[in-house]
Amino acid sequence: MTMHGFLRHPGSYRDPRGHIYVAGSDIFRTVSNDVWPEFQTIRPVLARFVDEGRLVAFEEVDDAPDDRGHTLRHPHLPFISYPYEWPFEALKSAALFHLDLQIDALKHDVTLSDASAYNVQFIGAQPIFIDHLSFRPYTEGEYWTGHRQFCEQFLNPLLLRSCRGVAHNEWYRGSLEGIPTSALNRLLSLRHKSTWNVLTHVVLQDRLQSRTQKDATTADRVRSKKLAKRSYLAILGQMRAWIARLSPADRDTTTWASYAENNTYDDEEKAQKRQFVRNAVARYSVGTVIDLGCNTGDYSRSALDGGAKRAIGFDYDQQALDRAFLNAAKNGTPFTPLFLDAANPVPDQGWRQLERSGFASRAQADFVLALAFEHHLAIARNIPLSEVVDWLVSIAPFGVIEFVHKDDPTIQKMLELREDIFGEYSEDTFRAELLRRAEIVETQTVSRSGRTLYLFQRH
Amino acid sequence: MRKATALFTGAAMVASITPAYAYLDPGTGSMLLQGLIAGVAATMAAGSLYWAKVKSYFSRKAEDQTKDDLGK
Repeated sequence: MTMHGFLRHPGSYRDPRGHIYVAGSDIFRTVSNDVWPEFQTIRPVLARFVDEGRLVAFEEVDDAPDDRGHTLRHPHLPFISYPYEWPFEALKSAALFHLDLQIDALKHDVTLSDASAYNVQFIGAQPIFIDHLSFRPYTEGEYWTGHRQFCEQFLNPLLLRSCRGVAHNEWYRGSLEGIPTSALNRLLSLRHKSTWNVLTHVVLQDRLQSRTQKDATTADRVRSKKLAKRSYLAILGQMRAWIARLSPADRDTTTWASYAENNTYDDEEKAQKRQFVRNAVARYSVGTVIDLGCNTGDYSRSALDGGAKRAIGFDYDQQALDRAFLNAAKNGTPFTPLFLDAANPVPDQGWRQLERSGFASRAQADFVLALAFEHHLAIARNIPLSEVVDWLVSIAPFGVIEFVHKDDPTIQKMLELREDIFGEYSEDTFRAELLRRAEIVETQTVSRSGRTLYLFQRH
Repeated sequence: MRKATALFTGAAMVASITPAYAYLDPGTGSMLLQGLIAGVAATMAAGSLYWAKVKSYFSRKAEDQTKDDLGK
């Protein structure tokens, strides 16, 4: 039966064997008739991955967006994020997860036809695979088809930080298919290139690719050769062992990574903030919390303690994000920390600017936290206070915003070498702007400098 | 014309070898590299397996020794 109301997801166009459709809050996947028999043969392996929590669940349904095949229904994931939003530790965790999945699949004679990082999503800090049609039966002797893509979308961005101390996020955001091996090869030093793994997967791969590009016979030559299964498994295993050892090269602690320990609050003030957040969230029925300036996730945890189902944190400090991710992964907290420059959020982009959605369309939550945050936009980035309030209130119907006074040490530090051009910046202006858009439910002053928490309910 | 036919046959053959689901270009560089490192990778994997066995043999011996010592 062909049903109305199905909308094909604009990002689902690459693989003609099936497409993703969205109808209301349901996600559907078509599987074309010609690959259905093949899909049936690997189905037990996929079912096993679903049971293990590594693959999004699926069930066959009669409703169909088109008449070209069969349809699967999937549960809706609470939040979609992209590799250019993931901190290093999240990308590393996704890479290891992808390799483990491939290794286990291959043991059951199933392989993955690609290695797109966008096929991995996070529930909390737990990776999950979302593309069922990436799996297919393994043919004896075949190569790791996704190797090049794996390098561009997982390995190279990790090497950029691990060899050079440069985070992948901004580059990846501009180059959605990842970081090209040829570009990374130009950036690495002789010291990096003298290690076996970099020498082979970066230097040699790039040389071989550029040398054979114009040679018409190469494609036939490689196609006639076969890769033994034990070699395939060995390459995957060694890639896994290598990535597991990678860590960021920038080890000097950033201001914000140690913020949770060394900030201008004392312990009592922090405890007050935690309690305020917990009580505020507990007043409402909260599914998703968006925590702007999440740092290592302290207040997201308070929100979860207050009954929120999940928290998505955003920050621009890479080290704080890495810590936040590792903590959440270790404790199984439903908290996903992501990279965001709030003054330049991720846009709608990709093919027709519809393929990957921007921050604004995804960041709709039930509750927003903006603690020790607004002054980073209003003072450090010169954004008018009215616009900062407008943006914060647009994210969720309820939330807590902390107002920081101009004589607070952090603002004084920001203005140390600058002229104070922020005549409008005051708590009175802030309160007036907030009242234009929301009801102020409760306030509490939490520091000696007068930092005040505002719980709001949007009009 | 004959050339065109030959080309077409060639292309058809290539198409029949290339799996229909390979919508992704694996890249010649990646495939050549895999061919080159395949042997080394498999040997290293076998070697590390052997090494793990050797290590576990000795650690088991050491463990037995400790147990013996404790027994005394």
